[in-house]
Amino acid sequence: MTAYRALEPGRAGRAVRVALLSVASIVTIFPFYAMVVLSLKPVAAVEFPGSLLPWPLGTGAYERVLGGGDLPMWTLNTLIYSVVSVVLVLLLASLAGYAFAKKRFPGKETMFWSFLAMVMVPYHVTLIPLFILVANAGGVDTFWGLIVPTLANAQAVFLMRQFIGALPDELFEAARLDGASELRIFVTIVLPLCKPILATLGLFVFLWHWNDFLWPLIVGQSTDMRTLTVGIASLQEQNVPLNVVLAGATVAFVPIFAAYLVGQRYLTEGVTMSGIKG
Amino acid sequence: MTVTAEARPRRTTARRRSASARYEARLGLAFVLPCFLLFLAFRFGPAVAGTLLGFFEYTIGDSPTFVGLENFQRMLHDPVFWQALKVTVLYTVLYLPLSIGVSLGLALLVRRSFRGVRLFRSVFFLPVITSLVLAATVFTWLFSSSGPLGELIGGSWLASPVLVIPALVIVSVWSRFGYGMLIVLARLQDLPRELEEAALSDGAGPWQRFRYVVLPQLRSTIFFLAVIETTNSFQVFDLVYVMTSGGPARASYTLVMDLYDQGFKYFDLGYASALGVALFVLTLFVALIQRLLIGRAK
Repeated sequence: MTAYRALEPGRAGRAVRVALLSVASIVTIFPFYAMVVLSLKPVAAVEFPGSLLPWPLGTGAYERVLGGGDLPMWTLNTLIYSVVSVVLVLLLASLAGYAFAKKRFPGKETMFWSFLAMVMVPYHVTLIPLFILVANAGGVDTFWGLIVPTLANAQAVFLMRQFIGALPDELFEAARLDGASELRIFVTIVLPLCKPILATLGLFVFLWHWNDFLWPLIVGQSTDMRTLTVGIASLQEQNVPLNVVLAGATVAFVPIFAAYLVGQRYLTEGVTMSGIKG
Repeated sequence: MTVTAEARPRRTTARRRSASARYEARLGLAFVLPCFLLFLAFRFGPAVAGTLLGFFEYTIGDSPTFVGLENFQRMLHDPVFWQALKVTVLYTVLYLPLSIGVSLGLALLVRRSFRGVRLFRSVFFLPVITSLVLAATVFTWLFSSSGPLGELIGGSWLASPVLVIPALVIVSVWSRFGYGMLIVLARLQDLPRELEEAALSDGAGPWQRFRYVVLPQLRSTIFFLAVIETTNSFQVFDLVYVMTSGGPARASYTLVMDLYDQGFKYFDLGYASALGVALFVLTLFVALIQRLLIGRAK
């Protein structure tokens, strides 16, 4: 115990630690502060350092971006892209994860290993054929063209398989002896037990889609089909005043921040889970 | 007679078992197939097609023509490709030690519990889940001549051919260090205390304990991070697209920018696929080298 105590820093060490961490925190937070304060500036052209002071403030940029512009449409598009994808990825991955963990069927090993091998192949190798496929099927500027190619999420299948594999078989056997159908077992036993992993995975898939840029940039070509990230990038390109661009960015940041506040524990657990096992 | 009497019940259970095994197999397939078919169509198929397409000349609406290694030869003679490669490698070389260093340093600082440690840990995680596009819009201003970082050097970072890559690296480190920190932290918290205590009672100072006791045990974690972060930096796109479009004068033009332009600006889909293959080979090659280096250091 004394030896353990001795590994702790002394008073001076503790002070240095807090000082270093405080500096790092300020550096981390500062861009968020700048984003919000600049978006609340009444005029676009503001020189440093006046631009970083929290006065004078006004909501003009928000009125402009939420009133007349395309931002509400982009927000809706992003919501559809993210929410539909989360629901479908969770459903597909939990079904597949359950089968990989608990069922025996022909081709199981081959299928599982092909999932595993593809994690190594960079996304960009598949990008061009994926676009050709979607374009030939008429999927450019459609929601299905945006969503369907993102649904086969190998990492989600791994996590589900790992989690379900650790559940004791007796849980399913009892229900099976009672005559419950497999689908019923899946819905009433497997899914409720998977709540924590589904929450973690759901948050990650949501954020991944909410923040996704390259695929929506390619598939959503018309202004009406842009997601928030693509839309905000296009504002930046068109030399829209800075406060308006950043008002858009702040709007896009709100759900990210909400997910962070609500699900931070799930998110950090997810990182360490995938990090150590991956 | 006795033989059949014994065999019959055994056969029926065997039959029942095989019937239930068949049922289980059908069920397993039914559960896996939706996901697997999507995977074949949108991941596996395109990966194979993308590799093959690298050997064709193809644009939308045309039929593909086999051109052998022509795309790769063209790549080797294209100064734009070499520039993109140079930028990508330079970016990675700057990014890798900086991001791993910051992640490691902060993980060590938040390793032991003290009042406020949870707050610090969670603050560092916020950039990780923030979209790079959002980060890019703010940092564009911070680095511009009217922003605080631009003020620092008396001009815009993003307009300078020398400072544009460091600027992109800083944004990447800001957005990723929290991830690396969590990975290292998880490993640090698994380390047995006894080794460090023994080193302490042998009179080892903090630096010696870190260098000779903690760091060797982090080797595989650092390797994991290095591979992940190298792959990420080779694929850097969002930040570059929004902050610089590859400029000034291609000073920040990366491989994926080249791939994007070839594919979706000039619709030269065969050549763009060849660039994708080159990216993949490069990633594998570097992962192999990292593996060898870490292996030898052991």
